[in-house]
Amino acid sequence: MSWQSIVIDIFTYGLLIYSIVLLSCYIFIGAYSIGEIRNHLYKNSFTDYRQLASASQAPGMSILAPAYNEGANVIENVRSLLSIHYANLEVIIINDGSKDDSLSKLIDAYDLYKTDHFVNEQIKAKAVRGVYKSRNKVYKKLIVVDKENGGKADALNVGVNIAQKDYIVCIDVDCILEQDALLKLAKPFLETTQQRVIATGGVIRIANNCIVEGGRLVAVNLPHKFLARVQTLEYIRAFLLGRMAWSRLNGLLLISGAFGAFDKEIVIKCGGYDHNTVGEDMELVVRMRRYMEELDLSYKVAFIPDPLCWTEAPDTFKILGRQRNRWTRGTVETLNMHKKMFFNPKYGFLGLVSYPYWFFFEFLAPLIEFSGMVIFILLTVSGLTNWHFFLGLLAVVFTFGFLYSVFAILMEILTYNQYKRRKDILKLVLTAFLEPFIFHPFVVWSAVMGNVDLIRKKNAWGEMTRRGFAAVKKSN
Amino acid sequence: MIYFELVALSFLGIACLIVVYMLFHLRIVEIQRSRYRKWKNIADLLVRDAIFSEHDGDDGLHLPINRHTEGLLENERFKKILNKELLSAKKNMSGAASLNLKKLYLMLQLDQYALKNLSSNKWHIKAKAIQDLGIMGLSEYLSKIYRQTNNRHELVRMEAQIAVIKLTGFEGLRFLDVVSYQINDWQQIKLLNELSLLPAQNFKGIENWLLSENDSVVIFALKLVKNFHRYELYNQVEACLNHSTAKIRGMAIAAIEKLYREDTSKMLLKRYLEEELSNRIAIAKTLQQIGGEDDIPVLISFLATEELEQKRTLVRTIATISENGLDHLNTLAEAGEPPLSLIIKQIEGELTV
Repeated sequence: MSWQSIVIDIFTYGLLIYSIVLLSCYIFIGAYSIGEIRNHLYKNSFTDYRQLASASQAPGMSILAPAYNEGANVIENVRSLLSIHYANLEVIIINDGSKDDSLSKLIDAYDLYKTDHFVNEQIKAKAVRGVYKSRNKVYKKLIVVDKENGGKADALNVGVNIAQKDYIVCIDVDCILEQDALLKLAKPFLETTQQRVIATGGVIRIANNCIVEGGRLVAVNLPHKFLARVQTLEYIRAFLLGRMAWSRLNGLLLISGAFGAFDKEIVIKCGGYDHNTVGEDMELVVRMRRYMEELDLSYKVAFIPDPLCWTEAPDTFKILGRQRNRWTRGTVETLNMHKKMFFNPKYGFLGLVSYPYWFFFEFLAPLIEFSGMVIFILLTVSGLTNWHFFLGLLAVVFTFGFLYSVFAILMEILTYNQYKRRKDILKLVLTAFLEPFIFHPFVVWSAVMGNVDLIRKKNAWGEMTRRGFAAVKKSN
Repeated sequence: MIYFELVALSFLGIACLIVVYMLFHLRIVEIQRSRYRKWKNIADLLVRDAIFSEHDGDDGLHLPINRHTEGLLENERFKKILNKELLSAKKNMSGAASLNLKKLYLMLQLDQYALKNLSSNKWHIKAKAIQDLGIMGLSEYLSKIYRQTNNRHELVRMEAQIAVIKLTGFEGLRFLDVVSYQINDWQQIKLLNELSLLPAQNFKGIENWLLSENDSVVIFALKLVKNFHRYELYNQVEACLNHSTAKIRGMAIAAIEKLYREDTSKMLLKRYLEEELSNRIAIAKTLQQIGGEDDIPVLISFLATEELEQKRTLVRTIATISENGLDHLNTLAEAGEPPLSLIIKQIEGELTV
């Protein structure tokens, strides 16, 4: 046996074993999420959220919405946030040194005046230039903070410093929240007695082509463009299956930066959002968990499968590439910052399962997939390819991907059924079939480039241009 | 290789089967939806007839039910729809209409249906049955429901606890004597909401619950004291301020605000420095409601703290409880320097608005 064939065998069977373990993980996640979703739906049928909306003992929530150059939509977006059903609430808009007229627009629209607010800098952040409140009592929940530009993490830290309530809800200002989103997000904090719930996340859905009026989502539509539609499928898969299973295992490492609630006390004790990563949302959750583990405190990161927040997905490859590149860098940076936990039994399930899973199957998966393809091409060129093996394995992985997506669509139909028309479901199935050929290779490439950029120390956020819901509405 | 082909084909085959099932399911749902609309109308009509029925006897309700509806009553799905409509109407009705709905419920033997479900092994079916019997006010099943108030499944015991209050009012709170599981904050909100619907009554038992070994029972008892202004329990609440659990002490601080006496603020100030941060802030906030000019010197002495949130709350308290509060603060040596100067400025601004 030549050394070449030994190397090829190691590569071949290594790839096979990796694929089998990865597929097994997905099968487990899919099956395990069913019980959690079912339980949640049963529990929900006994819940009257109106009781919480009017209860004086509802936990206080501070919504933190950083805004940078959002002048075009900021008035509407803030109006949408102010219309949320929740009594014990404050809405904090953090103008992160916008270069446009966001602040003056807000001042005019909401009759704001500058207050002498003392900022208790519990977390170090860029200087606050002013804290504004409204003279109009209708907007008494609103606080607008004007600060020097420092990025999203810095803006959120300023928000934490200003927030007066016990829980903070971090959202992207251009997201559309369901009217009862906060009620649903608040409930897990009230439900446990033995464990402390340190964070709660909700499902994010894609709002492209949905109809939005007055800051509210009035009709759900499946996106017309393939790229947005495939992300709809991807979000269903990730949120309905992946996060529900991890939530059941109490192993969630990520609560989306677009919408999540956190225990403010723990956030402050952990030092708030980290400026040194573009994956500040994941990093905060990992740090909070690590903090609780190190102090040996009983805790939980909860997750709700209800669609609570709607966001616009990038519908061009250019913007999507930037987003996925950033997500990859954020993941790698977070894993690197907390490498101490890797297979460290001191961190229990977090160190032995959650972290290694993210390392092997979120960080390494695109790299292995990409290098597998490159090596396959090299072997083909050099005439050493075991064609049957590679094409067979590829077929198994692709058909499994399709099956997993179809299962996610089935779960969506059996639970929340947001896309009711049969035509839409068939479109989703077709999208699932095409995904491995069009979308997936691009995502893998973006992830590889994310790793390359990280090595080259490129740490830019990457501009995210959005069309805005007003434009979406017109296009309908 | 042959295995790969087989596996890939199996995956593809299962995916296709799921797609077929999805389409079939959507079609069934469509059919069911149109049938549901039809049946819901029939159920609504039946409920409406019951609400407006003027029959005044104790022997049940006499409603003209046509043969078609009679046939439907044998159908489990229709029964479920009717049950749902009846319960939803019952929740919003009182007086004769509510009684008529109860009679209709019994006439259709939906209580037997609930009773059967009460012995189900599935927690959600059992909990739903308890909820139904509670909403319908069927006190004859009280003992069966009461037994579930300490059920090991959280949702079952939550629904049972709510149901016993629905059936017996404040008397139902006796489950607090024996409940061994913790009552979470969400359940406490639900229970308080249920109690708020009842006519006020000087119910018994709180003094025992305040001494419970179950911390959540003590916290709930303190909420009862606070919400129902049980002044006679002042001493027992004061005793809770010495409890080893910080959360209970925090709740006791909140409760005593509603029962305060002349010396309450002094007593709270005495405890201030022994308390942890969140309870210190709670004391300072309570004093905003019950404190007076006399408390200002002690409050000022606490301002030496490095903890800025505490400092801000104390300044707010001093400025709120007396017209001269801000003058007192401005005479302090540190009042000209940050952070105190900035905090005073903020509070001044708040009070001006």
